Formats: sequence, C-alpha cells, structure tokens
Amino acid sequence: MTEKKMSSSGVHDLLGSILGVFALSMLIASPWQVDTSGPDPFYKGPLIYPLIVCSLILAGSLPSLWRLFKTGRNASWYLDGQGKPVKGLIILGLLILYPAGLLAVGLEFSTWLFLILALKFVKQDSVLKLTLIPIGVTFILYLVFKLFLDVWFPEPLVMGFFSE
Amino acid sequence: MAGFWAAVSLANLAALFFGTFVGIVVGILPGLGPMVGMVVLLPISFSFSPQVALSLLLGVFCGGYFGGGIPAVLLRIPGVPSSMWTSFDGYPLTQRGEAQTALSATLLGSFGGGVISVVILIFLAPVLAHVASSFGPPEYFTVALFGVVLVVMASRNQLGRGIMLLGLGFWFATVGIDGSTLSQRFCFGTLSLQNGLDIVPICLGLFGIGQTLILVEQEIIKYSDIQLSRSTLDFSKLWKVMKYWKTLIRSGVVGTFVGLLPGTGSILASFLSYDVAKRLSKEPELFGKGTPEGCIASEAGNNAVPAGAMIPLLTLGIPGDAISAVLLGVFTINGIYPGPLLLIKEPVLINTLYFSLLFINVAAFAMTVIWLRPFAMIVKVPGRLLAVVIMVVSLVGIYAVNVRMFDVGVAIAMGALGYILLRMGWPIVNLIMGVVLGEIMENRLRQTLSLGDGSLWIIFQRPISLFLIILTVLIILVPLILDARKAKRSAV
Repeated sequence: MTEKKMSSSGVHDLLGSILGVFALSMLIASPWQVDTSGPDPFYKGPLIYPLIVCSLILAGSLPSLWRLFKTGRNASWYLDGQGKPVKGLIILGLLILYPAGLLAVGLEFSTWLFLILALKFVKQDSVLKLTLIPIGVTFILYLVFKLFLDVWFPEPLVMGFFSE
Repeated sequence: MAGFWAAVSLANLAALFFGTFVGIVVGILPGLGPMVGMVVLLPISFSFSPQVALSLLLGVFCGGYFGGGIPAVLLRIPGVPSSMWTSFDGYPLTQRGEAQTALSATLLGSFGGGVISVVILIFLAPVLAHVASSFGPPEYFTVALFGVVLVVMASRNQLGRGIMLLGLGFWFATVGIDGSTLSQRFCFGTLSLQNGLDIVPICLGLFGIGQTLILVEQEIIKYSDIQLSRSTLDFSKLWKVMKYWKTLIRSGVVGTFVGLLPGTGSILASFLSYDVAKRLSKEPELFGKGTPEGCIASEAGNNAVPAGAMIPLLTLGIPGDAISAVLLGVFTINGIYPGPLLLIKEPVLINTLYFSLLFINVAAFAMTVIWLRPFAMIVKVPGRLLAVVIMVVSLVGIYAVNVRMFDVGVAIAMGALGYILLRMGWPIVNLIMGVVLGEIMENRLRQTLSLGDGSLWIIFQRPISLFLIILTVLIILVPLILDARKAKRSAV
C-alpha cells in the first residue's frame, strides 16, 4: 500500500468527523449534562473545562470535516489497506459475549468456552492446544482470582434456574 | 536504609523477579511489548502495597526493553520497536556466526543503560523536586501544558488527529462526579457513569485488547532456526565488548535525557544514542554492517528510558509516555500524588523505587544471561494463541479491580476503539496522556483561574510559568516553521 493511496482513504476523515460531531453535540448538551447548580463562579465551576475540551476536539476535527465534505464522494474507503478485519471482528464479538457468558454460566465455563471458540477461529486448533490451553488458563484464572485474590463473581444465572 | 530493606523484602523481590520475567517474555514476542504486559498485570497489582505493585510493573517496563533486543539480534525481528537499531548490527554479527558477541553487547548495553539512568535519576530527581517545590498552580498548569504540547508535537505529521485524541482523553477524564464541586458531568442519567471512566479499563482496553486484536489478524511467521552456540551467554565475549564502555556511558546518558522529555520515547532515545555513537566512533564505517558498538549504543539508549521517564513523573507528576502514564495511575489509585513533595513525604517509597530499579536491571541481566536459549525460543510461540489468552486474562483482571461488570464493558469498547486507532495508525498515546493528565490539567487550570480572579494573566506575571509558556510556544512554532521550509525547499 503506497503512501499516496493510504492518505486517500476517507476513513480517517470519517473518524475525525465523527469525533467532531460528537464534540459538537457534547458542547451543545453540556449545559444540561453538567450540573451547574452550585454557588461557584463560572471559572471555578464544573462546566468551563468540558467546554474547552469539546472545543479542542472540534477544532482538531475541522480539517477532517472539510475534507470529508469536499472529497467524500470520490474517496476510497478502507481501514489501512491490510485487508478486512474479519478475524478481529469475530474475536471482538466473542469478547462482547464473554461478560454475558460470565453472568449466565459463570467464570469457569465461559472462559473455557471462549478460549475454545477463539482458538478455533484463529486457527490454533490442534487437539492438544484445544484441550490443554482452555483448561490450563481456566484453572489459573480460578486459582488467581477466586482462590488467591478472593474476588467475588456473580452466581451464574443457570445455577438459579437449576436450584428452582 | 529503610528503602533498601523494603526493596529486598520477599514480596518485593518476588514481584520484581516475576515482573521482569514477564517483561522479558512480552519484550521478546513481536507485537506485544512492555505496555501490554503492564496493563495485563495492572489489575493484579492493586492487591499489593504500592511499592510491590510498582516493582512488579517497573519490572515489566525494564524487562521488556531487555527482551526486545534478543529477537532483533537473532532473527532481525525487533521485539520492541526501539530495538530496530540493534538489529542493524546485531543480525549481521549473527550471520557471521558471532551471535554470542552481538548478544553480549546487547545485554551489556541494556544493563549499563539501565544502571546509568537509575544513577542519574537518583541525583537529578531531588534537584528538580527542589526547583518544583516553589511551584504553584500556574506553574503546574504550564508544566502539564508543556508536556501535552510535546506529546502532540511528537506526532505533528498527524496534528489534527493528535489534538482530537488528546481532547477525547481529556473528555473521558471529565465523565462522572466532579471532585471539587461534586456536580454530575456527562452521566446521562446512569448510575455507572457517576464513578467516572476508570483509567485501568481504558488503558487495558486500548493497549491490552486493542493490540491483541491486531495480533490475531497477523499472519503466523515461521521463524528460522535460532543460531546459538550455547544455551547461556558466553562470558568471554562479554569481556570483549567491555572495551566500548565509553559508548555505553554516553548512550545511557543520552537515553536518560531523551526519556526525561515527554512524548519522545524509547525509539528516539535508541536512534539518537546509535547516531551519536556512530558519529563519535573510531570505526563509523562498521555501523550497519555488524559492530558490537552499535548494539551497545542502541540498547543502552532504549533501556535508559524507563528511569529517565521516572524523573518528571516523580518530581512533577507529569508522565513522559503512555507507560509512565499507567504508572502514574498506580500512584494515584494508591492515594500517592507524585510531585516535588513526594520525595520528602515518601522517602521510603522513593528509595525502594530506586533500589528496585537497580535490582530489576540486575535481575533482567542475570535471567537473560542464564536462560538465553529458552528465552530466544519464546519467539516461536504463536502470537494469535497468546493474544486470545491475554484478552481473557485482561477481562477477568479488569472485573477484579472494582468488581464491576461495567468496567469490562468499558474495556471492550476501548479495545474496539484502540483496535481501529492502531490499525489506522493514529497517535493513540495522546489519548492515554489526555485521560491521565485530564484531571491534573483541569484542577490546576481552575486553581490558576481562582488565583487570578477568573483571568489567566497570572501565568504571564510569574517568571517560571512565563518561561514555560514561551518554551511551549517555541515548541509549537519552531517545528512547524522548519517543516514548512522543508516542504517549500522540496517543492522547488
């Protein structure tokens, strides 16, 4: 991927514009989203800094907004020219499901399942790896966080279902 | 001496050795690096005392640079980006069958650079703290401003993106209950956001998850056989490379002072040390073709950065890079606020830190010397497999810090953001600096405004803050003018 082609991707300007629009919306919403009912003068109060910060983001995004508006239709759209992020997205999806699994089936089973599925997707799926790594990592996590650090984990919902 | 005894306590030594070991491992593995190692251990570190937690994380920080040089020499694959210069001379030496000489130079450079920078830290920190003891809010605000401007200007080829990410980091820091007025800010009516966005899930998400998502997509590299004549380091070669002691000291000093400046980082430290060594060498023509002097210079430069970065962190509370920003987080979460008074208020902690840094360098050197071949073999572990394991460990760790599922959600969201930013090559370090410095900047700004009855004119009435403002303006203008001239010249 050449330098010229890299810079012509509209994705950079799109992200910059999203940040700019986000900053603008926060700037507009600030008086409602920041509690200014206290007695402090404006310069000591909680609103001044968020206003400066949102303005800073907006100022930084102006060139992106301008470029997107000017050349958006002709720009090509790719993340970095290194292919579509398929594996990354699948693993991200599994990561999003992981906390839900933690609540539903508990630390041990959700960790074991996440590792098996993730290893399968990233093609580290020899029988030895699929057997040893999920069990080993689950055991270590259980040992460190549950036994050693005594961290409280929510009771799996599925346990409640069985106990009823 | 209390600091020494605290440093040699069993818990501290165990943390220090474990951290160093993890650091070497993540340093050797291309694509990971000390930052990922640190953020993964961050949640666990909160169950320890501050000095033990810092020893653990500093071990990863320094160990990472030690480890990064090994694959650079043996396979021409830098474990950490700053070891790239090491590979220029290390790999040609390996190809000539002199891997032991190259590794001796690399490890001696890392060790020497680390020790020199700790010595400079011990002497320079009190001096800087003495100067900073006369600082008021305007001075602190301008120092922080100077730091963030340096960070933004370090990536000035992406100025707009750098400013946006810094601003976004500042904004993240405003979410939750405002410390001074107890007002709600950007909570959107949710209870979870009232506690604010914790720095740990943000760092862990951006670096731990974001970086490992990148690793998942990388092709699996089949490495060639590792050419090592023996499983430990050959001490006769170590004595041989000792003749470059002047280069070692010089590079250590250069690396420390580069590390001291916010936004510069280990890549610049390594490059400058290498460049200075080449210019002053008796055999400059050998650089790039395989000379141990090049390996020593590069590694001494990058391994001097951790202690160098501790100087502004401990004395001013200003982190120089993303890694020291994480360390600042460890301090503040434990109720310790770095600044000029820290050296007076917490002498035991500071002395423990100094001794721990020295011991870390000794431990890293000893480990790499003794377990050279096993460490070198680590590079063959598939990155994707490690990435998946690191992700799940990170998520469980992040939950364990505050026992809040909300933090896990924040970490995943930040992981997705980090992944996009890393793939697009945006300066993600600005975002972290914004998150860490956001609260400091805001408090100092509001205090300065209070002192000036709502006016910032007070900054220009005080000599130190005026000097810092002039310096900040120069840092913005000079590179931009030079870039413009360069562009004009190349256009002609």
